[in-house]
Amino acid sequence: MSPTLDLQALARIRSLEWRAKSIMEGLWRGLHRSPYHGFSVEFSEYRSYVQGDDPRYIDWKVLARSDRTFIKKFEDETNLRCQLVVDHSRSMGFGSGPMTKADYAATLAATMALFFMQQGDAVGVTTFGQTLQDHIPARNRPGHLRRLMLELEKPAPTGGTSLDLSVQQLADLLRKRGLICLISDLLAPVEMLERQLALLGAMGHDLVLFHVMDRAEIDFRFDKAAHFRDVETGTERFIDPASAREVYLNRLNGHRDQIRRACERQGIDYRWTPTDMPMEQVLFDFLSNRIRPKGGPARR
Amino acid sequence: MTWLFPLYLLGGAAILGPILMHLRRRPPQNRVEFSSLMFLEAQTPMPVSRRRVEDWLLLLLRCLALLLLDLMFARPLWRAQSEAAVVPNKATILLLDRSASMQRGDLWKQAIAAAMQHLDQSAMTDRIAVATFDRELEWLWSFDQDKVSASTRGAVLKPKLRELKPGWAATHLGQALVQAGNELAIASGLNAWTKKVVLISDFQEGASLEALRGMIWPESMAVQVVRLETPTADNFTLSLAAKVDEEQTRGLLQNERGASFHRVRVSNSRDSQASDFQLAWESGSKASTPGYVPPGASRVLSVTGTAGTLRLSGDAWDFDNRLYIAPVQPKVVKIVFIGDEKTRDEAASPLYYLSRALQPSSTLRPELTVVSATAEQWPVDAEWVFISGSRPSAALEKSLRAWMERGGFVVSVISDGTSAQDLEALTGLSASAWKLGPSVSSDSMEDYRMLADVQTAHPLLRTFDDERMRDFTKLRFWKHRPLALAKDASSMEVLARFDQGDPAILAGKVGKGRVILLTSGWHPADSQLALSTKFVPLLFGWFGAAGLEQKSSTSLTVGDVIHAESATSLMTPEGQTLRLKPGGTIRAELPGIYSVGKDRLIAVNVAAEEGRIAPMDLAKLRELGVPVGEGEPQGKPSARVEDKQRLAITEQEARQRAWLWLLGALLVILAWETWLAGRIRPSQPQPTFSAT
Repeated sequence: MSPTLDLQALARIRSLEWRAKSIMEGLWRGLHRSPYHGFSVEFSEYRSYVQGDDPRYIDWKVLARSDRTFIKKFEDETNLRCQLVVDHSRSMGFGSGPMTKADYAATLAATMALFFMQQGDAVGVTTFGQTLQDHIPARNRPGHLRRLMLELEKPAPTGGTSLDLSVQQLADLLRKRGLICLISDLLAPVEMLERQLALLGAMGHDLVLFHVMDRAEIDFRFDKAAHFRDVETGTERFIDPASAREVYLNRLNGHRDQIRRACERQGIDYRWTPTDMPMEQVLFDFLSNRIRPKGGPARR
Repeated sequence: MTWLFPLYLLGGAAILGPILMHLRRRPPQNRVEFSSLMFLEAQTPMPVSRRRVEDWLLLLLRCLALLLLDLMFARPLWRAQSEAAVVPNKATILLLDRSASMQRGDLWKQAIAAAMQHLDQSAMTDRIAVATFDRELEWLWSFDQDKVSASTRGAVLKPKLRELKPGWAATHLGQALVQAGNELAIASGLNAWTKKVVLISDFQEGASLEALRGMIWPESMAVQVVRLETPTADNFTLSLAAKVDEEQTRGLLQNERGASFHRVRVSNSRDSQASDFQLAWESGSKASTPGYVPPGASRVLSVTGTAGTLRLSGDAWDFDNRLYIAPVQPKVVKIVFIGDEKTRDEAASPLYYLSRALQPSSTLRPELTVVSATAEQWPVDAEWVFISGSRPSAALEKSLRAWMERGGFVVSVISDGTSAQDLEALTGLSASAWKLGPSVSSDSMEDYRMLADVQTAHPLLRTFDDERMRDFTKLRFWKHRPLALAKDASSMEVLARFDQGDPAILAGKVGKGRVILLTSGWHPADSQLALSTKFVPLLFGWFGAAGLEQKSSTSLTVGDVIHAESATSLMTPEGQTLRLKPGGTIRAELPGIYSVGKDRLIAVNVAAEEGRIAPMDLAKLRELGVPVGEGEPQGKPSARVEDKQRLAITEQEARQRAWLWLLGALLVILAWETWLAGRIRPSQPQPTFSAT
């Protein structure tokens, strides 16, 4: 699929709600063209079976009654509670492209919120930095989407990333099981992260982890030596990129691998999300994955 | 290939600048905000310099630009063989000042050293002539000698130069330059040569340049100046001042004891530091006289003393501190009075008055001898004869006549007993030409004659030419012999007449001698002449007209010619006696007192101008058309030739204009460098990040 809007054009749309709607438009078009047409978390309809469809979804009752093959889709998704947990730490303010990581994460969260609300699911938003900052519980009522958008539009990320505290607080807040989408750059020690995620998994939550990284962080393509300043801690180090790049990339990849492996161990859906990746693509991959054989707690 | 300004090539070292700049690396000053440093390790900033040069091409271009700029300033040129090879031969005259002022300090040593240096630096193919000058130019080595024996030039000239000593004469610089210029102009075979006069002198202010006014200096003839200097210019000059009008100072010049007053001038040099001096006679125990003259001024002093050497002290240089003054030497004039010796003390006799009138003066010392009229012998060395009141014997008359023919002077009073024949015998004019009347005498003192129509323009009466001396109204004559001359008697002339027209004083030439006739005597019986103020001036005026007075100039300067006149020997101040022919001359080389003959002393002094030792402004020479090289340091005789060569190179460089090509290349290189540097810099811009 191709994105309706590139990231630069998207970044120029000030309103987060409109931005999310633009992405949704592209996403719908992509879904109609795709072989996974109609398979969303909540969508429900019948259509004629065509060759190539999975025979498991044939409604045998209708076949028996009318001798016609129809495919049965997810007509029942009434209890899904999706909590979007967005990292608001200072490191998320970094960005070399048209959008910072924070913008990207907010847009992604807004789009998902819009998507889930249109499905009739309950959606909540939680932001965290050093600690849990704001928490809007998952609901599906008129005006709730607007509230979510306002929360996501809040500027100025502050503080460092401390998943430790945040997840603990979150676990206290989320009593009902549901889908938790964590959007973060995960610039924190992996061991602690795995422990916290395991806690959420143990509580019966379905976890999706969007690992947001900027292209400059991924490639580290700086050509001149400079004093690099950590935006979270404020420490400065003299770095010559030519000599430091290799070590950096090794360590970054190692960190990423560790996270991925930890996610696999905990049954968490890990999504590698560079900020230059089209958002429709991210969502499409995410949705596609959710209707793959494993199924989820929402599928019937 | 050569360079017009080769020193600029040293500027090529400037390429070190870009090389060092390319080796140097500034530690980065920029800061980059980054999300997290957890994957980055701290590094030490890199060193300021690095071994490896970056941007080779840029460095090469920059070095090349600097080198081209350097070469452009050095102005390269290609010299044609023909132009480089032509170096004209040089003809040089070395003029060495040996005037008195060169006696100061080590000036003479400097002069000899400079001359030797020029000799050493001259090539065998050059022509050299050497001369010294003060008042006169004296050749030590001529162009002709140099032409024949240039190879032995040094061997011959150097000993000569070492033996030379500075003289005492004045500096006639102009004259020396004119003579040297003429010599260079007329010397044979030097037409196409580079001509030059090298002047080695102290260039004192007092040097005479007058001779240059009459000469147009040839443009092709250069004058190189080697100025010799002494550390101090403190100098007083002592010289004789002009005498004041004799009439006014007659009483002042001599006092009772015979000592004279001498007027001397003391001048102080312009740049002098000293102003106090002492004056003293060298022989004698008189105390010295202190004095004060500010720098640049002069003062006239009266010094008491007979004669000798006056010595000044108080300045740095001694050469002009002695003033030689010859003693006053009145000339002895032997005068004969023909008459009776016994009447010398008789108040009525002419001899009485004559002997008292003939008193010695500063210039004359009359010696009066009385010869009897009847005597046959008389001193033939007499220079003047007076006859009054007596009639000489025939033999004496004849002898007198012969003496007059040889140049003697006779004053005769025509008295009562004088006949026309006597006058014929005395004057040679025939008796018929004389018309003598009987004596006319006045009866009373109130009846008298006065002089009229006095020919004051005549040499014998020149004394009365001054208007203040022309008053003869108080001169009265009571007795005279009327006299008339025939019209053809042109050999006698009437110098004065009485108021009624009779001649009073007549004069005429007899052979080489002269006769003066008075128609009235000077004694009181005839007239008031002897008692009047006119008598003594009249007598001394006659002596002066006859050339019997001493010539006043007994003080000469070094270099003047001493006339021996009748003397046959001359003693120099050093005590050396020279034999001379009568009437011969000798040049005074030393200051001091010369003895000519037995009793004549002549003082010879250093010229006063020589004492003006302040340095002369060379612009004076230029004003007179002499192209003097200004401020040329000593020991650089070939500087002018170098200048010419330099000029030729400059012209050649201006024709070739190689620097224009270098400039073009430089601009191309600079454009290339700018483009390249602009390309290299923004090639990898630092990513900019936003950290909101």
